[in-house]
Amino acid sequence: QLLTHNMLMAPGTKNGFPLAIEVEKMETVESEFRSEFTARMVQKPVTQVEYGALLQTLAGLGMDGTLPPAVPDSYESNEEFLRALHHVEVIDGTLVCPETGKRFPIKDGIPSML
Amino acid sequence: MFLFFETPLTLSPRLALPVGARLVSSPVAAAAGPPVVDAALTEPTAEDGYRSRADLKRGIASFYDGSSALWERVWGEHMHHGYYPAGSKRKDHVQAQSDMIDEVLLWARGGGEAVPRRVLDVGCGVGGSTRHIARAFGCDGVGITLSPYQAKRANELSAAAGLGDQLSFQVADALEMPFPDESFDLVWSLESGEHMPDKEKFVSELTRVLRPGGRLILVAWTHRDLSAPAQAELRPEEQRLLRRISRAYYLPRWCSVADYTRLLTAKGMGGMRRDDWTSNVARFWPALSPECGARAALTPSARPPGLFRSGWSTLRGALVMPLMIRGQKKGTIRFGLVTACKPIAPGAASAGGATAAVPRAPPPRAATSLAAAAAEAKAAAAAARAAAPPPPPAAPPPPPTASVASRLARIGAKQARVREVEMPPPAGFEWGGTY
Repeated sequence: QLLTHNMLMAPGTKNGFPLAIEVEKMETVESEFRSEFTARMVQKPVTQVEYGALLQTLAGLGMDGTLPPAVPDSYESNEEFLRALHHVEVIDGTLVCPETGKRFPIKDGIPSML
Repeated sequence: MFLFFETPLTLSPRLALPVGARLVSSPVAAAAGPPVVDAALTEPTAEDGYRSRADLKRGIASFYDGSSALWERVWGEHMHHGYYPAGSKRKDHVQAQSDMIDEVLLWARGGGEAVPRRVLDVGCGVGGSTRHIARAFGCDGVGITLSPYQAKRANELSAAAGLGDQLSFQVADALEMPFPDESFDLVWSLESGEHMPDKEKFVSELTRVLRPGGRLILVAWTHRDLSAPAQAELRPEEQRLLRRISRAYYLPRWCSVADYTRLLTAKGMGGMRRDDWTSNVARFWPALSPECGARAALTPSARPPGLFRSGWSTLRGALVMPLMIRGQKKGTIRFGLVTACKPIAPGAASAGGATAAVPRAPPPRAATSLAAAAAEAKAAAAAARAAAPPPPPAAPPPPPTASVASRLARIGAKQARVREVEMPPPAGFEWGGTY
């Protein structure tokens, strides 16, 4: 899921996150939305900088209409915001380290972070 | 540790050392000063009959890629040993595996500790423990494994179980984890430490990704503690035994529980406790014996075609499995537990409910049921959340249940293929002895 990719870091680096996401194949997930889990995902390590990176990724996917430009206050109870974040699942693609440019493939929804 | 089959990938011509060749084992550190961590814990080499680090990394992934499906078909989602309290002759092996997780959690956490919000399962297999813990605590979870097949399978099983939102899995190296510092409240390593070729780096990563106030739980097969100065090394026959086992199962050199505790102490972890549960896993071994495995595999409901094609693997596994049993009987090989907490820096704001510098050691386990202990933990967590600022909206997590039947009902029909497999011990197998 987009959100969990957002919490990953390039191994062996100190600041190799958030990873840029290049998507080859993605799905919008129709699974049951559970606000408390999505809220927790957003909690750490999302800062304004990381949220900005996420927005850039979504803009690249043509999804920029769905999210506000800044993390809203009390996002934990902002269900619209959480739902917008929740739905995207990257099936095939690449994660790119912002520090080193190293590329980590995503295959069948699983990132390989070796 | 996955011990049912072994796929012969890279058979080195050097399968045995000359008689009398010795391995360096770790001496016990002096009480004061930084611990002495010798090369056996930090620099695995291809010498002395052990596989090289590259060989291990490649081999472990292929090993589990190749055999996971078969294991899962016969045994289900849990790839660790079951819990057979000393003397127990229980035959519900799948439930025993499930109980092992609960028993370890209870031992490590007691009943009054704050519930973790995010858990890391190191060496997650197909996510059996990850799911179990996520359900027990209502928390998020991440699992890492070297096996792409396992990670994908873990994802599928979790989605089928309705846990797709809570859990995510990646292919990653436990010695170089793809997470920022302090990402997890609970770090869980059940029977994966054996595979780590650099124990010091392993412990370093385990503690790095743990939040202050968070807990590490590590359960692993180890060799016995060595007591200096009387005995700085394992005996030659013990070293030979471990070497043979390690070649078959893609393991680096073994360490002891004392080695883990020393490394954890060096990383500043506190509240450390340890235990030896060798006698609590003993009855799992008869169930794993090749004879029983073959018998189980021949029953119509559990006959994966791979078993018959892997004749060589089965034979090699059959040759080495008795060595694990022998090692336990002789006291060389132990099933060890360690738990410790990461201190919160004095003066820092308390994180998520922990209010002491180091969470107090859990009280001795009263004879309460696992469900009661889990309910207590949830009540404590609810109280902690009410007190701590700013809490996320707390939807009440689903209540824990102890029975396999209700768990399976919640998981759904797809996963209900996990069966209880009756496996009597082979004729003539005697178990006994104390450790």
